[in-house]
Amino acid sequence: MITEILETLFLILTALMIAYLIRHYIFTLTVLKNHQKRKESVTVGNVTYQPTVSILIPARNEEKVIGRILQRMTELTYPKEKLQILVIDDASTDNTEEIAKQYSRTYGYIKVIRRNEKEGGRGKASALNAGFKNANGEIVFCFDADYYPQRDILEKLTKEFADPKVGAVQGRVTVLNEPQNIVTRLVTLERIGGYRVDQQARDSLGLITQLGGTVAGLRRDLLESLGRWDESILAEDTDITFRVYLAGYKIRYVNEAECYEEAVESWRAYWKQRYRWAKGHMQCAFKHSLKVLKSSNLRFREKVDGLLLLNVYFMPILALLSWIISVPLFFLKPPPWFGIFWVSIPISIYSFVGNFAPFFEVGIGAYLDGRTRAQWLIPLLIFTFLYNIPICTKALIDLLISKIFRRNGNHWAKTVHSGNGNSYIMS
Amino acid sequence: MGIRMKENEWKVNHLIFGFSVGAIASYMLLSSSFVSSESVYMLIIFNFFFVSLTFPLDGTLTRKLSMLLIGNIIGLFWNYLFSLFAYTVAYYLGEFFNTLYIILSPLVNLIWIVSFWSISLTALANSKDKKLGLRFDN
Repeated sequence: MITEILETLFLILTALMIAYLIRHYIFTLTVLKNHQKRKESVTVGNVTYQPTVSILIPARNEEKVIGRILQRMTELTYPKEKLQILVIDDASTDNTEEIAKQYSRTYGYIKVIRRNEKEGGRGKASALNAGFKNANGEIVFCFDADYYPQRDILEKLTKEFADPKVGAVQGRVTVLNEPQNIVTRLVTLERIGGYRVDQQARDSLGLITQLGGTVAGLRRDLLESLGRWDESILAEDTDITFRVYLAGYKIRYVNEAECYEEAVESWRAYWKQRYRWAKGHMQCAFKHSLKVLKSSNLRFREKVDGLLLLNVYFMPILALLSWIISVPLFFLKPPPWFGIFWVSIPISIYSFVGNFAPFFEVGIGAYLDGRTRAQWLIPLLIFTFLYNIPICTKALIDLLISKIFRRNGNHWAKTVHSGNGNSYIMS
Repeated sequence: MGIRMKENEWKVNHLIFGFSVGAIASYMLLSSSFVSSESVYMLIIFNFFFVSLTFPLDGTLTRKLSMLLIGNIIGLFWNYLFSLFAYTVAYYLGEFFNTLYIILSPLVNLIWIVSFWSISLTALANSKDKKLGLRFDN
């Protein structure tokens, strides 16, 4: 009896893992096959579509990086008369506000919104909503303070809004401080796989393109009608992604629109960041899974991809569980099919950690980017995968505890930025 | 063998040829009584991944086939040496090590697959390496 239960459970878990494996495999082949095709510019008449734009930059104690992004904002090639930059100083205790105000005094289109101790520190969604109240652009973009965009990034991104069905757009995130240490190098690989292949394939296949919390733009009217960002969710970007799709709009991914981020520099910082992502993503899974299934605005393939995307952070936990189950099963009475599943487990587990680990996605992404040396580190991604098992497990346990005891377990663990990325811009 | 094609073209004929060779190799492995079933499954998985994800890339068919062959040889040796090591250690340490071996063997197998695949990609990449992928002013 026990053996049968274990067998069934093991089969279900393995089937789930193989579903993710196949998904990522299809993504990789799609990008590999399409990588030569160049997208044509979307224009209205003969003029590139250039709506008015508001850029929200939430910043909490970002004195080491805020000057860098504001300087870059002044260098953007987008017409300045159509541009509004809003720095939301989220109750900073350092010089963030002073630095931002210096720019504000020199450049009329830069404005600083100060949140005091009482209002601030409630997380990014809360800061974005505060900024949104003052935004007057047709399109609202969000950039994190540690980011450094290409000069023409807005032209590349906003042109997608010429299509009225497009509700939001996402650009590519690339790591700025890659050579700093092994953590930044591995995060770079995750980003390559996640954006160059995963996001690109989802866009090409008409699946669920995910908005990241940064380098992302949304229609102002749409965002207003959706009720702005949900402050009770830690992954406000994933939440808004699904609300956009459920409202019947599409999200486009523009690989050519690159923006450079300062990646986390230590395993501790990695843990904090990924814990927040995992918990927020799980909150979204509980909130949206049923809605995705019932939605009349989503096609079947979008529903399947949406469910896989929503539940991806549960998979490291399920992988561990399947491995634990497989050991007694192996000794009790291995069924005839067991061998092939047994050997497929590691390839599957290695492949399903969503945005940040499938080795073949990362490898092909690095290949297409011409990143030959970066490919050598791919085998080390197993460590980030293993590290994600306790991260996701803790996130799930904490989330369940907060749900059972109806506690607000949301604590926004802010990623600290050292400003080390500056040296790579100067060099 | 020396088929020349345009760069960056999706190489369908390489893919078909690669799958044919991979299928023959897999059949030979399955028919062999010298290779354990776990090793055979792992090599079949390797062949499938390797052919489908590297044969469409730039590079000559000869180079790709050579790498496929080397990969299979490495895989066979890896499994052979690792099982010899496991039997020897299990003889002295007993059942505990045997259990550990069974739990970890798929993961250990993965190490050579991913490493070999990464190196193969590097060998196939003909573009100049970009140390940092930064294109600030593009």
